Amino acid sequence: MDNVIVVSQKPSDAGELVGLARTMGNPVIVAFQDSAEMVEELLGYGHRVYRVKSGRPEVLAKAVSTLYEEFKPKIILGPSTKNVKDAMSLVAGLYDIHMAPDVVEVRSEADGVVYKRGFMSERVTMNVKAPYPAVILVYPKIAEPAPKGGFGELVELNVDDTRVKVLEVKPKELSGINLEAAEVVVGVGRGFKAKEDLNMAFELAKLLGGQVGGTRPIAADLKWLPEDAWIGISGKRIAPKLYIAIGVSGAPQHMSGVTGSKVIVAVNKDKAAPIFKQSDYGVVADLYKFIPTLIEILRRKR
Amino acid sequence: MLGLGDIVVLVKASLNPEIVRQNPDGTFDIDYTPLKISDIDRNALEEAARLKQVFGGKVYSITVLTWGPLKAREKDLRLVVQEALAKVADEAFVVADESIIPGDYSVTANVIASVIREKGLKPTLVLAGEASIDESTYQIPGRVAAKLGLPYVGYVRKIREVRGDRIVVERDLEDYVEVLEVPLPAVLSVTQEINEPRPPTLIQIRMASRKPVHMLTLRDLRLDAMRRRSIVEMKVVTVSRKQILIDEANVEKAALKLVEYLEKEGVLRV
Repeated sequence: MDNVIVVSQKPSDAGELVGLARTMGNPVIVAFQDSAEMVEELLGYGHRVYRVKSGRPEVLAKAVSTLYEEFKPKIILGPSTKNVKDAMSLVAGLYDIHMAPDVVEVRSEADGVVYKRGFMSERVTMNVKAPYPAVILVYPKIAEPAPKGGFGELVELNVDDTRVKVLEVKPKELSGINLEAAEVVVGVGRGFKAKEDLNMAFELAKLLGGQVGGTRPIAADLKWLPEDAWIGISGKRIAPKLYIAIGVSGAPQHMSGVTGSKVIVAVNKDKAAPIFKQSDYGVVADLYKFIPTLIEILRRKR
Repeated sequence: MLGLGDIVVLVKASLNPEIVRQNPDGTFDIDYTPLKISDIDRNALEEAARLKQVFGGKVYSITVLTWGPLKAREKDLRLVVQEALAKVADEAFVVADESIIPGDYSVTANVIASVIREKGLKPTLVLAGEASIDESTYQIPGRVAAKLGLPYVGYVRKIREVRGDRIVVERDLEDYVEVLEVPLPAVLSVTQEINEPRPPTLIQIRMASRKPVHMLTLRDLRLDAMRRRSIVEMKVVTVSRKQILIDEANVEKAALKLVEYLEKEGVLRV
């Protein structure tokens, strides 16, 4: 049977990746970062686990390359995280093989792998057939987790790459809010003129039992919100019942993160803002006048 | 002034995601969707300009055309290359060849590495945006590094300093930021947080027209056609939003109307 290399970064991603790998061939697991720390968890799937004792993508790349030459896999599977993307781009470059990150559907056929992923800020879906071998990095929750059983063998991989030196690791200040699970999300954009003004958004969110998220400029550039409140293509993808975008223009990089919302409301003073074409209800108004009024009305309804 | 050496910036002519054209059958009409400079590559150009101002050296841009039809792309492609030249590049290398359209990641990386090798470029730094705005696959910089045998660091959101033959950068990951010392030469991909790209000035734009643009084909690079993926289908995601506009001079009226709509939708639980 064909081999499938499975890169696991967190024990929580392993079930789905192993499940997916079993539909394609025989899984060979590589444990990286958190998975390397909690390797017992991974051994429970009954497959051999190779442990990489480094958090560096270039070391993971070397580890996977070693296994690539030994096992001649038809597919390398992994999560679509930044470290794994970086590591696998090195492997794909080294062997000139196909690679696709952020994959939402994948199946293996006799003469190649067929997958689906977003394109053009998720405004287009692309179905591709690529020849084997290929690297496929998937989104979470696209496959059934594999049942556990047996006990695999652990192999320590002694590979290294010391060119890049880590001087410091700085944890990010995160809010810990779970925007993905929120039923109501209030999104804030550049229409807000000052950080203090976001209090309006927080007040509205509180009234509606929701959370506050923001566009890239607000969360990543201005840092008015913690980075885990960033909604969009490189941030969070949300699917609330109600998404209220305030002072958000509607750039595709942001809107791709909210397409799963049931109802989208936009508040913007510019009648020509592209967001109105992507919303269910658009309010043409100055947010500084409209939001306090809306809050007042919602309060009265209580 | 301390020298850093030359810089290569990878600049993509990307399909513009803000203008998605659709065929009558709902498939994506690539041929009529315009190209523009991939936004994050603007950050790479800006960073190159910043470094060049401090350290001198030459800056080369490399652009590989990945979307056809070739003839119809000439104008868009020229604008992208002109921006790179106006912004910072001293010379531009452009590979436009029917046999590599539509692009393939592996092929593009091989072509870029070949331009660097065949044209005798000896960059100390290769800079690129973390991803292109059309396909967003985050892989070309890493592939190029692997081809050239250079260290690679992705998601750089700050270049802190150059220490002789090493560069100190901040790499932005999901939950933490790494401060890394990278030996030069190296390949870096940058995020949009690294700087605020300034548009080129009129003088820069005028100067750009005098700078050399080298148009290349695969034959010039001594490359043969390579095995590629096949795109089976591209479908435009249809957004079926109601698009009801509340345009009232009176904000109280507008707010009441919105509340009424949302109550009908059953999404308010005040």
